[in-house]
Amino acid sequence: MRTSGIDRRTTLRLFGAATAGIAGAGALGACAPSGGSTDSGGDAKAKNFGFTSWSLNEEATKAEVNKIVKGWESGHKAKIKTTAYPYNEYLQQLTLKLNGGEISGAVHLDIAWLAAIAQMGKLVDLGDVAGEGGYTDVALTSGQYEKKQYGLPWTTGSIGVIGNQKLLDEAGIKKHPVTIAEFEDALRALKELKGVTPYAAATKVAQLKDIFPWMQTFGCTILDGDKVTIGDDASIDAVEWYKKLHDAKLIAKDVDRFDARALFGQGTVGFYDDAVIGKGATLATAKDKNLADAMVPVPRPVLKKGDDPQALLWGGVLAVVKGEGSDSAADFALHATSDVPTAVSYFGKTAMPPTTAKGLADPKVAADTFTSDWTKKITKTATPGPFWAYAKNAQIEEAVAKQVQAVLVGQSSARDAMKRARDEVTTLIKE
Amino acid sequence: MTTTGIAPPAKARERHGQKLSNGAFALLLTLPGMALFAAIVLYPLIASITTGFFKQDLRFPGRTWAGLQNYADVLNRDFWPVLQNTLVFTVGATAIPFVIGFALALALNSGLKGSGFLRGLFLFPWVIPGVVVSFLWMWIFNANYGVLNGALMKIGIIEESVSWLGEPTTAMLAVIITKTWASFPWMMVMLLAGLQTVPRELHEAAAVDGAGAVRRFFAVTWPGVRAVAAITILLEFIWNFQHFDTIYVLTGGGPAGATETFAVAVYQDAFKGYDLGHATALGGLWMLLLLVLVGVYLKTSEREPK
Repeated sequence: MRTSGIDRRTTLRLFGAATAGIAGAGALGACAPSGGSTDSGGDAKAKNFGFTSWSLNEEATKAEVNKIVKGWESGHKAKIKTTAYPYNEYLQQLTLKLNGGEISGAVHLDIAWLAAIAQMGKLVDLGDVAGEGGYTDVALTSGQYEKKQYGLPWTTGSIGVIGNQKLLDEAGIKKHPVTIAEFEDALRALKELKGVTPYAAATKVAQLKDIFPWMQTFGCTILDGDKVTIGDDASIDAVEWYKKLHDAKLIAKDVDRFDARALFGQGTVGFYDDAVIGKGATLATAKDKNLADAMVPVPRPVLKKGDDPQALLWGGVLAVVKGEGSDSAADFALHATSDVPTAVSYFGKTAMPPTTAKGLADPKVAADTFTSDWTKKITKTATPGPFWAYAKNAQIEEAVAKQVQAVLVGQSSARDAMKRARDEVTTLIKE
Repeated sequence: MTTTGIAPPAKARERHGQKLSNGAFALLLTLPGMALFAAIVLYPLIASITTGFFKQDLRFPGRTWAGLQNYADVLNRDFWPVLQNTLVFTVGATAIPFVIGFALALALNSGLKGSGFLRGLFLFPWVIPGVVVSFLWMWIFNANYGVLNGALMKIGIIEESVSWLGEPTTAMLAVIITKTWASFPWMMVMLLAGLQTVPRELHEAAAVDGAGAVRRFFAVTWPGVRAVAAITILLEFIWNFQHFDTIYVLTGGGPAGATETFAVAVYQDAFKGYDLGHATALGGLWMLLLLVLVGVYLKTSEREPK
């Protein structure tokens, strides 16, 4: 009798070795370069195109964005293939898919990412189309990179501080804190309320870029020309102050923007950082629908009275990828961002303010106190992110965030961490 | 019964005028598999190893020669803390499920009432996809609205919530616990299979000779399952050494890099930092360590039959 000569033990051994070896090699192989080109090819005049957006993934916005898509499809007898990624994974997924030529049509971009994506050379210059939109100058600028219009502005605003007036009243806080010292007093008063997180500031890496406005509040310029100033005394003071709030449990641990919204929606947060859309996003999941009345924009406290409150400009644009369906995608982007009824309806459901002069003048928009207060109190002094012009903006923000997190968890002193952050950022901006 | 060989008898082939040797014929049969292996493993592997010697951004075409710079950067900056984290995770996520799996296997092998049902029940965590398990535990460990904090506060063990995933020490522990939950069933099944090959008569004879439970375990049970245990531990060790999803979903390698293992670090470098040269240099060193482990595995599995 002849047998194969392979017994069960040998089979198990070979199976184990093969799976371990292949998995190891595969893990490394996944990093193999796939190459890239600047043109996705395809018929630019095709009626059908793709649309990629994180808003298609978020509870507060997906229904309204889908409505815009369906409206376009039925009005133009076209098909839009939608793709969504969560915001925190979006840039990375978009970059990989763009590089692989797997994305066509319109893409939603945070204005902070525009430079990085534009440098890949795959976006259409929408300069001609933008002229038809009637956008405000500030909004239009947010879609430009190196004097080319790569994005049509969909939302323009800022990231600031949102307060829960009901809790502030309960804590006996008569007026909104203006200085850092008053802010700390307010946080301590809020802490006296049972189960309340005084300030749901970002403590996870994903949104720890929120430290930048605090650094600026303490007097750090962050960038002076091409020289990185993180690591100066002002930035160290800011991080030490943040750590002090963390250790005193005035800010919560392990929080990103989505955790903060969830906690605020439960009515257990005094203050948190968010964009102007925070109101819509938070209310979408809040149990208490009266919470809307309690939400107030609060100018970021300053070091000393008279300083300008710091805020980060924030917004989204619709860009168009070269290739298949790019002409139709550009028309769609123009419609979604500038058609007044569409923009006003979008604002009504999501609290995202329009970017056109006509849209902003619409009575439904102009009558919204939260949005108009936000514009007056927060957006007025907002500035662009210091590293937005750099291709590695996301990596730079993450490098700083990781160092701040190291301070928060006690792995490093603020001085050492900020020195490391400066060195890492200096390397990244040169790449 | 005779098993039939795949190759036709040599005489038959000679009759048809074929001159293909057995070896050549066998090689011909393996060609499709080898081609597939070359296309999906070998080529990407070689491509990525060579990338380690270049400076290359994932977003842009083209690259520049960097020599050993990427390797030097990796060894000077990331390698040692990442190796330490990987070892802590690997040892923890192998030893703890092994102990739990072995204890359960012993219990199930002892003729416990309802052992069939329990065996099915214990397998449940194993059939749930890793990402789902990770999200489940992320919710359990959440610092602000997690079940664990709620339960511990309710029974008075803690007074205020603990940031399980936000502190370096507890984050690694949380990741190991999650992986333990997902992998102890597999170890239990392997060890139970090993235990069932140990003749019951040996236990009875040892008992007649006056051996107690502990003595019987070390004199009868353990020698009977040692080979299976060694292979199970080694395989689990190798898999944990390259594990990704639990860690990435739960902590993303944080806080402050406290749970950043090789798998997470390579992913972060390649797909978040877009630095392919750096990622593949780190991946190359990681693969060398894995090859050592595979070598140990092969040596162990060869030695055991003797």
